[in-house]
Amino acid sequence: MITARNLKKIYAMGRVEVHALNGVSFDIGTGEFVGIMGSSGSGKSTLLHMLSLLDDPTEGEITIGGEDVLTFSDSKKTRFRLQKFGFIFQDYALVPELSALENVILPALARGVPLPDASAAGRDYLDRVDLAGRKDHLPAELSGGEQQRVAIARALVNNPDILFADEPCANLDSTNSRAVLDLFGQINKELNQTVIMVSHEDWHREYFDRVIRLRDGKIEKEEILKGNR
Amino acid sequence: MFENLRVSVFLAARALQRGGRGRVLLNIIVIAFVFTNMIFLPSVISGAVESYNVQTIDFMTSDIVIGPRVDERYIEDADTLLGRINRIPGVIRASARFSMPVSVDFEENAVSIEVKAFDPRDEVEVTRIHEFIEEGSFLGSGDRNEILLGVLVTGHEDKSKDFYDSLGGAAVGDVVTVRYANGVAREYRIKGIVRTKSYIADYMAFVTADEMESVLGGTGPNTRASEILVKATDDADLSALKRMILSFGVGEEVKTWEDATSDIVAESVESFNIINNITVIGSLIIAIVVIFILITIKTFTNRKQIGILKAIGIKKSVIINSYVMQVFFICTFGVILGLVILEAMVLYFTAYPIEFPDGTVTPLVDAGMLVENTVMLYLSSAVAGFIPAWRITNEKILDAMRGA
Repeated sequence: MITARNLKKIYAMGRVEVHALNGVSFDIGTGEFVGIMGSSGSGKSTLLHMLSLLDDPTEGEITIGGEDVLTFSDSKKTRFRLQKFGFIFQDYALVPELSALENVILPALARGVPLPDASAAGRDYLDRVDLAGRKDHLPAELSGGEQQRVAIARALVNNPDILFADEPCANLDSTNSRAVLDLFGQINKELNQTVIMVSHEDWHREYFDRVIRLRDGKIEKEEILKGNR
Repeated sequence: MFENLRVSVFLAARALQRGGRGRVLLNIIVIAFVFTNMIFLPSVISGAVESYNVQTIDFMTSDIVIGPRVDERYIEDADTLLGRINRIPGVIRASARFSMPVSVDFEENAVSIEVKAFDPRDEVEVTRIHEFIEEGSFLGSGDRNEILLGVLVTGHEDKSKDFYDSLGGAAVGDVVTVRYANGVAREYRIKGIVRTKSYIADYMAFVTADEMESVLGGTGPNTRASEILVKATDDADLSALKRMILSFGVGEEVKTWEDATSDIVAESVESFNIINNITVIGSLIIAIVVIFILITIKTFTNRKQIGILKAIGIKKSVIINSYVMQVFFICTFGVILGLVILEAMVLYFTAYPIEFPDGTVTPLVDAGMLVENTVMLYLSSAVAGFIPAWRITNEKILDAMRGA
């Protein structure tokens, strides 16, 4: 489903060039739950940003579902993200002026789903993340774990092909982290959605089918962990 | 297209509803006063122009004014002409006026003004001077040795209160000496004092046509006139009536009141328009600056949120439109509040008109100007809202999300 070839990302910091990614190549199949791991500064978030079309590599190729996505215009990338991807960020990234339900249905409305249908889907996903009773609460009225679950419901509402999660448990305690990861595992299994998650917690490995471990912008090793669950 | 608009409305509505109502209210109030400022001064100026027009018709020209032929000083055989004009359909009455420069003396005071002579029976049909007698009474047909003076001519005992040279507070019953341009001097009792609030009409003197005939001292009756004023029926089209008068063989110069005053009014209106434009531009600049600052602060504060929206697949245009819609909301309620303030001010100044030297002025809100200024306010505000939103949404997603 996803093919990355020789991905490089070079940042200029003053006169110094930083090679955040230095020739990364891999394939990810449909329905895989892939963990991108590595120490801080290894390039894992940079790689996720490239794959999710939030940033462009300096060099390399990315194809998703057979499409050369790096040739897309900005507006086509935006449309692609809306239609194919779901995003979960470290800091939840909810719109503070929207209630939990409104945050969830926003991508559906942007896709043109009628409001009643979007609301029904939003309520359904909030129910799945066990937040049906908090649908009218604003993000500021929810705990960190609850906000992250709202973000997961938002990522799922358009039934995306790929779910990108950038350290989704970084701000959560272990109980909430486990609840979130259980949810990812469940989604991955039940809906056969591809999940690509950045993590630096070793214990998260137990949820992944495969781990791509980065070090200094290069793949240090790939581990197949199928049969974890 | 519709989906995009729907999401923009959704985001804008929630931002307004939950994103600091006090700030929104403050901005609505600012726009309301900007709008009031844009409309009120032009409406006062429109009111002043309207007041001047009404005064012109009521006291100076009536609806149509007929002057001497080109290169002639007087209308000859005015009586015959009056008879012809009075028979034209659409004409209520015509009144001949004879004007002559005079010097009026009272005690140690003297003023140089113009005296107008008319037949009071005709004059009351074509002008409203007789309705504005402050003291005494209007001239009667056949009155001799009596004069009607404008209030600016009689003036005040305390001359510092006078706009022009005056007779120092002459009153009804006092006797003044009038020295005509032809050398004749007559003593007249002041029969009435006129206060029309038209600075032109209030700085004149009026005598009867019979008295003027005696002053001119011809062998026969005076058949000359300086001008003939024509009062038309209420439903008359003045341009059509003017053409009809000409078609009746009148060879004199025929003008509607607008033709007669257009040069003076056009110059005044042009000057007023310059002031109007400065006021409108000033107001628009205030509106643009306020909206620009508001949206700049808002988008800068929401930078991360804008980055998130772009990341999850919301189009830039949807995000920009959500801010422009917030601006439209603020403008709409600002304009509504502005209209309320404006209406209150118009009501107040209708009850208590503004006193100008040449009359009282009631603000006159012109619908065309109102629409034009409202559209300009909307367009300026939309641009002022669009630019900062466009700038922030054009940032790289990750830069915006980091809020760096």
